[in-house]
Formats: sequence, C-alpha cells, structure tokens
Amino acid sequence: MIRFLQNNREASVAIIIVMLLAILAISDPSYLKVETLLSIYSNSLTLFVLAIGATMVMATRGLDVSVGSIMGLAAAIAGVCMNDGLGIVPAIGIALFVGLLCGLFNGFMVAILRVPAIVATLGTLGFFRGCVHLTTGGSWIEGLPEAFKGLSHAWFLGLSPFAWLVLFLLAAAHIFLRYTAFGHAIFAVGDNREGARLLGIRVNTVQLTAYAINGILSALAGIIFAAQIGFIPNTAGNGMEMRAIASGVLGGVSLLGGTGTVIGAALGAFFMTAIDSVLVMLRFDAYWNDMIAGAILLIVLIGDGRIREAMAQSLRYQKYRKFLEPDEASINASAAHATKDAPVSGARVTGTDETAVAAHSKESRA
Amino acid sequence: MTDPKPSGQRKQLIKADSIWKFFGNVTVLKGVDLVLESGQIHALLGGNGAGKSTLMRIIAGLHGVDQGDLYINGQHANKLTPVLARQMGIHMVPQEPLLFPNLSIEENVLMNMKGNRVALHTRLVELAKEIGTNMDLQSPAGQLEVADQQMVEILRGLIRDAQILILDEPTSALTPREVKLLFDRMRALAAQGVGIFFISHKLNEIREIADIVSILRDGRVVMAGPPKSYTDAEIVRAMTKVEGGSENVLGERHQQTHHGKVVLEVDNLCGEGFANLSFSLHEGEILGLAGVVGSGRTEMAETIYGIRKAARGKVLIGGQDATHTDPQASLDLGLVYLPEDRQTSGLFVDAPLSWNASSLVLHREPSWLQLKQEEERFQKYVKELGIVCATSSQAVRTLSGGNQQKILLAKCLAAKPRVLILDEPTRGVDVAVRADIYSIIDDLANSGVAILMISSDHDEIQRLSHRVLTMAHGYPTGELEGDEITVDAIAQMSFGVSTEEAKAS
Amino acid sequence: MKSLGLFKRWEAVLALILVVEILFFGAINPAFLNVSTLLYSTSDFIHVGIVALALTLVIITGGIDLSIGAVMGLSAITLGLLWVAGVNIWVACFCALGAGAITGIINSVAIQVAQVNPLVITLGSSFLYSGASLVLSGLGGASGYEGISGFDDSFVELANLEVMGMPFPLVIFLIATVVFMVLLHRTRFGRYIYLIGQNPRATRYAGIPQFRTLTIAYALTGIMAALSGLVLASYFGSARSDFGSDALMPAITAVVLGGTSIYGGSGTILGTALAVLVVGYFQTGLQIIGVSSHIASALSGALLVVVVAMRSLSEIGRAYFQLWRVLNSTGKQKA
Repeated sequence: MIRFLQNNREASVAIIIVMLLAILAISDPSYLKVETLLSIYSNSLTLFVLAIGATMVMATRGLDVSVGSIMGLAAAIAGVCMNDGLGIVPAIGIALFVGLLCGLFNGFMVAILRVPAIVATLGTLGFFRGCVHLTTGGSWIEGLPEAFKGLSHAWFLGLSPFAWLVLFLLAAAHIFLRYTAFGHAIFAVGDNREGARLLGIRVNTVQLTAYAINGILSALAGIIFAAQIGFIPNTAGNGMEMRAIASGVLGGVSLLGGTGTVIGAALGAFFMTAIDSVLVMLRFDAYWNDMIAGAILLIVLIGDGRIREAMAQSLRYQKYRKFLEPDEASINASAAHATKDAPVSGARVTGTDETAVAAHSKESRA
Repeated sequence: MTDPKPSGQRKQLIKADSIWKFFGNVTVLKGVDLVLESGQIHALLGGNGAGKSTLMRIIAGLHGVDQGDLYINGQHANKLTPVLARQMGIHMVPQEPLLFPNLSIEENVLMNMKGNRVALHTRLVELAKEIGTNMDLQSPAGQLEVADQQMVEILRGLIRDAQILILDEPTSALTPREVKLLFDRMRALAAQGVGIFFISHKLNEIREIADIVSILRDGRVVMAGPPKSYTDAEIVRAMTKVEGGSENVLGERHQQTHHGKVVLEVDNLCGEGFANLSFSLHEGEILGLAGVVGSGRTEMAETIYGIRKAARGKVLIGGQDATHTDPQASLDLGLVYLPEDRQTSGLFVDAPLSWNASSLVLHREPSWLQLKQEEERFQKYVKELGIVCATSSQAVRTLSGGNQQKILLAKCLAAKPRVLILDEPTRGVDVAVRADIYSIIDDLANSGVAILMISSDHDEIQRLSHRVLTMAHGYPTGELEGDEITVDAIAQMSFGVSTEEAKAS
Repeated sequence: MKSLGLFKRWEAVLALILVVEILFFGAINPAFLNVSTLLYSTSDFIHVGIVALALTLVIITGGIDLSIGAVMGLSAITLGLLWVAGVNIWVACFCALGAGAITGIINSVAIQVAQVNPLVITLGSSFLYSGASLVLSGLGGASGYEGISGFDDSFVELANLEVMGMPFPLVIFLIATVVFMVLLHRTRFGRYIYLIGQNPRATRYAGIPQFRTLTIAYALTGIMAALSGLVLASYFGSARSDFGSDALMPAITAVVLGGTSIYGGSGTILGTALAVLVVGYFQTGLQIIGVSSHIASALSGALLVVVVAMRSLSEIGRAYFQLWRVLNSTGKQKA
C-alpha cells in the first residue's frame, strides 16, 4: 500500500480529493452531483494551466515564480487590444506571444546566463508586474467583449470552450512528456544536466523551451482568468505562482527535477481549488481556506518525506540484512569460512570462485 | 590474449599528432602523439596531472585542441564537440558515470537515441545478457552501485555501436569477478574491431588486457609499446621520473611490532555491511585493514566513528564504551576518522583552508571564534605537513589533490587523535605527496597515536603496517603479522582465501 | 584571500552603487539629498531589511524561508488579538516574537524530520501561517483584511521615535545588522552556518550539530520576521494579516543582491544590509523624481535581473580563472 502510494503520487492526491468530496457529500447530500465537480473544475482552470507549465519547468530542475505576473501582463494586453477594437483572436494571439517572450526571457536568464532560477524569476516577477501597470496605466480594464467572456460559459456537456481546451492541453502535455523524445529530454536535463549534455541533448534549448512553454501557458491562464471574471484588475495573477508550485509539489513533482507527471500536478491544482470551493459550500467562513489548505499541504509533504525515509531505511535494511540479523550473521560467517564461498543472500554476489582467485594470484605475481 | 596483428592491416581510428593543450599559461599537453587502431586495447598510464584525462577529454570532445592535429577515422577533427564525438562513434565511460538517478536503467541507456523503441529494447536486453549483468532494466538508476553504474555507461556506448571506447579507471570499483567479465567483454569488442582506451593504475590489469601501453608524464608520452616488453620497474620509473624507482621514495617496510597500551577494542561488532569483527589496536601501532571495495571496511570504520549504527557488539575507546556514539562524542574520546572521499565527506572545498583545519575542534573551543589561534594552528600544520598554499584564506578547491589531502590530514590531526582511522589516505595523490603522507603516518605512530589504516593499495598496507587485518564480503578473513605481511598474502586474503593458504603462498 | 577579497569587493560595489544612486536622484531632485529625508524615507522599506538579515543566515545554510511574509502578518495579528483581549502591549509584543520563534522552529523541524526541500516545506507553512493569521483576525472580529487598530500610544509612537537623530526602525535595523554580523562572522554558530551550507555531508562527518544550528537559524528568522511585523504595526498604528505579503520577494531580493549564493555556502550580513539600502533608496528615489510606485517596483525587478546576470557572467569567468589556478598549482609542483 505504502509502496503503491509512493510510486503513484497521483493516487494519494486523488484519494485526498475523494475524501474531501465525500465529506462534502455526507454533510450535504444535495451537493452529490456532477455540477459540483464541474463547477470546481471550472474554478480551477487557471491553476490547471499554470500547473502544467510548472510541471515542465520543475522537471528541468527549474522554478518560475514570475507566472503570476506573466498571467497579469497577458490578461492586460489582451484586454487593451480588445478594447482598442482588435478582434478577439488577434488579441489572444498577441497576449500568447507576449507570454512566449516573457518565458523566453526567463529561460534565457536561467539557461544561457546561468542565473539561479528562483533569483531570475524573482526579478522578472517584479519587472513583468510593472509592465502590467505600464500597459493599463494603473487602472482596471472593464467592458471586455461579450463574445470573449462567453468563452468561459458552458458550451458543450456543461463545459466551456476554455474548459475543453484545458482538458485537451492536459492530455497533450501528458503525451508530450511521457512519450516523446523531447519530453524525456526535459526530465533528463532536470535529473542530471551534465549527463544530458554529454548524451547530446541540447540542454540549453530544452530548458529554454520549458520556460517558453510555461510562459505561453501562463499567458493562457491570464486570458482564461480575464474571460471568467469579465474584467482585469491590476493585481490579476498575484500570488498565483505559489499556488501553481504548491499544486505541482502536492501532485508529486519534485523541485529537484527529474520526476513528476502533469496528471499529478493537475490533481494538485484541482485539490487546491476544491478545498476553497468545498469550504464555501460547507458554509465555513472564508478565512479558514488558506489555513486548512496549508495544513493539508504540509501534512502531505511531511508524510511523503517520512514514507520516503522509511522506504530508504527498509531498502538499506534489506541490503545489509545478513549482517544485522543475529542468527544469519553467524551462520553466514561460518559458511564463508568453511567453504570459502560468498554468502549467497548478499545484495551483490562478490565472486570468490576458484578461477577469479587463481587469475588474481597470477596477476599479483606478474 | 590475441596477438596484435601487423599494424599495417589495421585501420587507424584515432591519430593524435603532436597535440598541445594550454589552460591559461599552464601547458598541460606538450606535443602528444598517439595512435589507436581498430581492435586494439590501448592502456594509458601516468601520475596525477600527467595529462591522460585531458587527452581523453579532448578525444571525447570536451576540450578543444590548441595545437597539433587530431584525426578520427582519418578525418581531421580538431573542432570536436561532445555531440560530434559521439556521432563519430566515440564513447567515454567516465570514472563517475553521469546517470539520471530518477529515470530507469533502460531510459538511461536509450536516452536521446532515435529509432524503434521495441527494437532498441530487444537489443538492450541481449547486450545486457552478453555483458553478463543481471540488473533490472526498469529499476531507477539512482539505486545502483558504482560498478553497475559503469555497466550502464558501457551499455550506452555499446548500443550506440561505439567504435572507440574510453574507459576511465573502470575497474576501481569492481570485484574480481566483474573485472573478469569486463575484460572478457573488452576482448570480444576488440575482436569486433572496436578500439579501446583503458586508463588504469593497476599494472597487472594492464599486463592482462592491453595490447599497447602508453605512459604519460608531464604532458608527454614518455614510453609506448606492448606491456610485455617492459618490466614493472621500468614502467614505474617512466611514470615517476624520480630515478631509482618508487621503492626508495616511499620508504622501507616496517619490521618491529608494537606492544603499547590497547586504546581501541572492537569486540564482535556487527553493522551495515559487515559482521563479527574483533580486533584491538595498541598505542603507536599501525594496523592495516585490507579488502576490496565493498568488503565492508568503510562501513565498519563509519560504525566505529558513529556515522552508522552498530547492530551488535562492542567498541571500547581507551577502555570506555563507545559502541553507540555520535561523531562528536567519538572525537571527544580521541577517535578521529579521515573519510575515504575527501571531496564529498571530508572537506569543505569552498571554505578557507584554516576553516577546514579547525572544523573538528570548534565544539571544544569557546563559542566566540578564536581567529588568531585558528591561524596559528593552521600555520603549524602548513609547516609540519608541507602544505603548498598561498594564504590560509584561499579555498580548498584551489589546491591540487595532494595538498587537499594534506589539509584533510591537518583537519584530523588538529583534533589531537589517540586513535586515527585513515580511510584510503593516499587516494588520488601523486607519488611525491604519497611519500610525504607515508612519513607523516610513520611519525604519528612513533609519537604514540594508534592508527587503523584502510587501503586498497596492497603495497601501501605492506609498507606501513605493523599488523594487517583482512576482510572479504563483510567478514574478517584473517590477520597477518611480521614477515607474514606480503603483498601476495594480503591480496589473497582480501579475496577470501583462507589464512593458512595465503600465508603459505 | 581571494574568495574573501571577492566578497569584500562585492560589498564595495554595493556601497558604490548606493552612493551613485543617491547622488543621481539628488541631482534630479535636490530634496532627496536632505539628511532627514534620507533617514526618514527608510521607514518605508526598513522592515524588509530587518527580516532579510536573518534570512541571510538561512540562505547561507542552503535553505530558504518563504514563510517570512506570512509570519510578519501572524505576529501583527497576534499582537492585535492580545491587545484587544486586554494584555499589556509589551507583553503582547513579547508573545508575538515568541509566536515568530515557534513558526521558525516548526519550519526547521518539519524540514529536517521530513527531509524535504526547505522551499517546499516553507511554501506549505506560508499557507498555514497566513491562513492562521486570517483565522485569528477572523475570530478576533476584524473580519477579512480590515485589521486591528487602536493600540497604546506609546507603541504607536515607537515607529516615529527619534533616537540619536534617526527613526527608531532604522536604529533597530542598524543594531540588528551589527548583532547579526557578529553572530555570523565571529561566533562558532556562524561558522557552522557557513559549513552546513557548503557541505552538509562533511558537517555530519565532522560532528557538527546540524539540527540545532538549523533550528536556531530558522527560529531567528521567525523572530526577526515577527519583529518586522511589529515595526509595521507600530508604523501603521494597526495590525493586518496581510502585512508581510509584499515583503517576501524584496527580502529575498536583498539577500541575493547582497551577494549571498542562493545555493548556500557564501554571503555576508554587510552585503545584505547594503543591498537593502540600495533597493530601498532606488524605489524611494524613483518615486521622488516622479516615477509611479508600480513602475519603480518594475525597475527594482529589472535592477535585480541586471545585477545578478552580471554577477553570473563574472562568475562564469571566475570559474575559468579557478580552473586555471588549479592547473597552475599542479604545474608549479611538477616544475
């Protein structure tokens, strides 16, 4: 069981989500319907998109704390463009392009200039946020076209066009990371940069691409956000970077790179939103949200760490078992003496067969 | 061993023509000429800083050529990159393999390869069988031991149809059985026409496997030819440049035995990777502990020191029970451990030299730092140990390997040991520093410090020890004293041959 | 000598930047050069500096604490709640500092028990602490982000108190700077901080008490974050749970700009202190010459990016230089 949870971090998050929803259903059965799930899902769209991007960046052993600002900037630019009479599609296109540029800039700092990721994106966090104010002149953007807002309204099977898009992106990102050479390269770079470089992987390109994709996704998150709430405050996206990273971490994406899945991160994002929605539905005061989310996040993290420690301990014990258990140790010792044979239960069979010894004694005389 | 064919019929895989390499104003390679033919196993031998790693890194595309010409398969290849080198069929297996610990072995091997996954998988399984490894290809590479990690690297090269393999000290972490398998595999590859560079410090291995040996010293190839045509003494002389061979440099062997007070007593100790170990160590005695890597020697030392937990048994330091201590308590009882791996466990490589020298004694001093005292202590060791450095505040990283090792020694000596456990005290240091360290160890023993010296170098054990203990597979295999201490006996017993046989041989 | 000399050189660069920047803004608007303007404008940003000093220790150990912003709010709310409950204001201050210490200890224990990346743990605990302060302020009746006000006058006046011609928060910062300098550079504890940051494995082999040292470092950071929250509460005359939400990133910026490696192992208190002033005056100066505060913060971000990129480039150069040094020394031995 523990091993299963360890190897399938997605499962443990899924279980927590199910437990959370079960509590909701028990306390008020009227919530026991598909609409509840759909509404939580549509609330979590922006975080979903950010979590996909965060997974890619974190898999390369990176970190992007500027996503909230990119989100805000893209939303502001899309808003300004639309209100200036540009069509919805070109406006979104421009916003996504700006997101790409922001991501490329982050990637350039990290991959080419070798600035530590947290420092580089900390700088751009402030910088991009300033650009938001430059774009909007400091005021909120209102009066977005109805057609644009409509993209976040239910459209097919109770889901909005954006919701379908996000589902599609999720599947695409999963396939991309899991089954393509470039996806593997992203993990390889995060796991061992030097090793990846020597195997001919263009590590700089891979890192740059991961940040660029993350930039585009952040921009998309900003656009979805704008369409959902119908206006664009200057603070759009504030604090989202931490929620995005927390989603990934909760879903089993390691900040040390090399592991994690998009599905896990998405489940993490779903949980982060679900906890807010569920508490509201249970008529808790809103101020409990962060504390409960934080407590669960900490418990999961510490529990995860403890499980990993316990696994490592038991692996270690297995490896040294023959030395640590009293009876076996003495039996093996006498066996080793009597027959000159290596104990067979060892983790590594270190040969003492006659040929090896003979070969060696020849060597040492030579 | 196959007889080398006349070289006219063989293809020249690599031809280095008077290669020079400069780092800043330091000349690392001074016109190296070298030829690797297909089907040839070419051993490279040389001391630290002789230039063999730089040469190999140039061939693997990690460094550029500053002067001279490099030809690969007859093509001029001065502008090589790691990627290009791989495309030209060069595969380097570094001493510390570059693996992706979170990815599976299969993913590690097949990383960045193009082609049908299924076909690649089948080939990989076949190769793994041929090479004689029974690793689970789906398990994460992070859990492998060094020997298996090297196998992963070798598999990487093989599955990419490498024509030129560079093996950088591949046997340092292997058991004899694995060495034999590796050598079989190397011969098979050579028979298929693969050219292999083989870096090793072990003469007997080179004699067994290599067709040609090139000896580098100070950036030049000073000797090259079939190993058969040289004696060991000639080879060592060529490597070390000090005339008269290495024997005199490293000092004569001890004869007398010591019977001082017992300061360390280990009684039937069992722990992670070893069991049933009993011995006692006297004041002024050097007890050599031999055994191949993986025999449980380091684990035992770390258990005595308190880094690992003891399962059963007893450790007495100066009569006091110290079975379940932590390192700080061990230090206070006068037991100091010099770790095997100085870069990761022993030194703070980015910290000033003086900080390193005092890192074991800080807890005994007032919480206010005694900077003047620290400096004086450091200067004392600079003189006593002959450390070559500019100032006490330069980072350890800026020193050569030998001087780093001396800093590590200074760190241990500053703690005023009664019992000193030295784990591979001369790993990766050149001959001159090695001689220095030997005389330091001798002086320490003469001043009454009890020394337990762990080493894979049987010559070293033989030259320094008053008494020798051997271990194999975690169990003690015997003890040698006085005239019984011969390199041959040590070697046999470390591989598990019984004491009587070993002594008789 | 070289590594130490380089640290010193970086601090000299920071001092130079500081002087140039003050002169630059002074040239545009001479009012900026007024000594009392210079001194009193620090009150807008010095709370960041107070917590950045302690954060320097944590970052040198190779860790990080993302919860400092949350702890600032928590300490202010603790103070407010206790004050509303009728506790003496000074006792309440003391309790707030204690709360800060506890948050730090929780961080440290969680990090070391779970053996999880500090970034992740303190990310989680920042949600917990900021959530806790929201809950506390909610329970205390100050719903949402309104805050608690009406503190004792003697407390509110503290922030505007003049000591030796300087505002009291600045004095706290200067004293803290000296204390932390001594702590980091002259005591065994400080030495352990560096050693742990450089090579945690080697500290274990050297018998250096890692758990205790790290816990003290995180607890100190918690206490300083709480102190910083109190300074803000005094300055604004009210306590709000979101006090620190804007302080985290500037604090990390100051530490990094001050020359501390985000990977641990190197850094100085003086560097952090100077960087706090550089960033703070940069923002204030921009506002004084008429740049909007949002643009000013954008430019601060740009400043960090530029400076760090430059440092990174010079470091790449230094790596080559070091390689050369090593080879040089081996070369000399051979000769």
